[in-house]
Amino acid sequence: MASVFGEAVSDICAGLKRYYVWAALAREDLDDQHRRTTLGPLWMLLNYLLLAGAFIVVFGRGEDVGHHVAYVAIGLFVWFYCSELISRSVTLFKREESLILGTPLPITVYVMRLCMQAFIRACYSGAGCLLLLLFSDVSPSLMDIGYAVLGIALIAAITPAVVIVLAMAGAWFPDLQFIVSNLLRLGLFLTPIFWSYGGGDSLRDYIYMYNPFTWVLHVVRAPIIEGGFPLVAFNITLMIGLCCWIVAMWLLGSLRKKVVFVL
Amino acid sequence: MVSVDVKDLGLRYRLQKRFSLAPGRQQAKATGGAIMREGGSAYVQALDGISFSLKAGDRLGLVGSNGAGKTTLLKVLYGIYEPTSGTVDVEGRVDALFNIRLGFRAGASGRRNIELRCLINGWTPEQISDRIDEIVEFSELGDFIDLPLKSYSQGMAARLAFAVATATEPEVLLMDEWIGAGDPEFQEKAKARMQEITEEAGIIVLASHNKNLIQKSCNKVLHLEKGKLRSLLSVEEWANGSK
Repeated sequence: MASVFGEAVSDICAGLKRYYVWAALAREDLDDQHRRTTLGPLWMLLNYLLLAGAFIVVFGRGEDVGHHVAYVAIGLFVWFYCSELISRSVTLFKREESLILGTPLPITVYVMRLCMQAFIRACYSGAGCLLLLLFSDVSPSLMDIGYAVLGIALIAAITPAVVIVLAMAGAWFPDLQFIVSNLLRLGLFLTPIFWSYGGGDSLRDYIYMYNPFTWVLHVVRAPIIEGGFPLVAFNITLMIGLCCWIVAMWLLGSLRKKVVFVL
Repeated sequence: MVSVDVKDLGLRYRLQKRFSLAPGRQQAKATGGAIMREGGSAYVQALDGISFSLKAGDRLGLVGSNGAGKTTLLKVLYGIYEPTSGTVDVEGRVDALFNIRLGFRAGASGRRNIELRCLINGWTPEQISDRIDEIVEFSELGDFIDLPLKSYSQGMAARLAFAVATATEPEVLLMDEWIGAGDPEFQEKAKARMQEITEEAGIIVLASHNKNLIQKSCNKVLHLEKGKLRSLLSVEEWANGSK
């Protein structure tokens, strides 16, 4: 077991040392997507604003959610990040096939390339989120903003582990990409992005309680909307993160050299 | 000291047979070697019991029919495949010329493609900025270097790929067939460049079906058959034996 974790650590260290490779490739990936467009990467900001605007306007009525604009803006910001990352993770090794089969680059390079892409995208949707927050009715204290930033940092720390787990699973089980894309479509509605906990025992409330994304959203959103440190959400997200990292380290250590045989 | 020491190397992997409802779908793929069945599973013994040692100055030719395991052995030496048995010890900086267009992006400029390919090959940004002008000059692409790769003709793209792939100073050079590119004039230049890097490399391992090339470039020949070592001879012995 120790040698498996040792293998994983050596791959991670070798991958992190190659930061200039994954940073350059991630930048190039995003440039490629917007190369011939007029707005360029600003489309990432616009995508977020259009969807957030639609949710705020359409679901704003009849929803008993306090600070609705801020609630939706932060919820959608975190959901955008998670869903984009998850859907791209399951096909990661297939997309990177030519490099994996042609170079001895550590697996972590591909993982970090995707994390970097997700980070850059999040910067654009984050700018949109901040813009909406300026026009919302929330006024968080500096401490509350600090708690929200801590929540973002926690999600960022979990990100590489989630990518490793899903990329490995997607390489061995290619049908996963279709399962995941369907689940994410459902997840948009089953995650409390624009709706909230009813306080009862309806199906909706059970979904709220047992959907792990609820707590991931909550670690960023609760400090801004409700104020204070969201201890329960933070602990649940931390536990999810620890579990992801243990599984990711085990998968990376035991399967990293076998990926070439399943592509 | 540059050296390659391979002892009782074996590479075996399980064929990933996937259940599929799609009619006529190929279920599994193998890279070479011999397929064997154990229980309900199929395995590929891509390499089996390969041993050889190379020291500075050695030029090893890998020969064998398609699927004999030549490319697989090169990929093991490069570190892409991990041996499942035996040991591989390589001392020295290894570089490979397998796919000279690896990592190329149609939308990026020639210059950006050079930068990306060099980063993938393990160069630092400083090393790239030191040598990029030399690579551009060798490619003879002139002002086209700042245009997207997709605007290049086949020949121009090949020149760029060759220029960047061979801008390397390996101590152990792995090649899957000899590479060349471009029009007759550039081909001469490419030939000279290949000559230069093979002379400068401490050790070369070249997989090829071209007997003349092997005789001209190598001093040892390793013959593979279904992943096993059939013979390891000096190039003279091999040439005499295969007449």
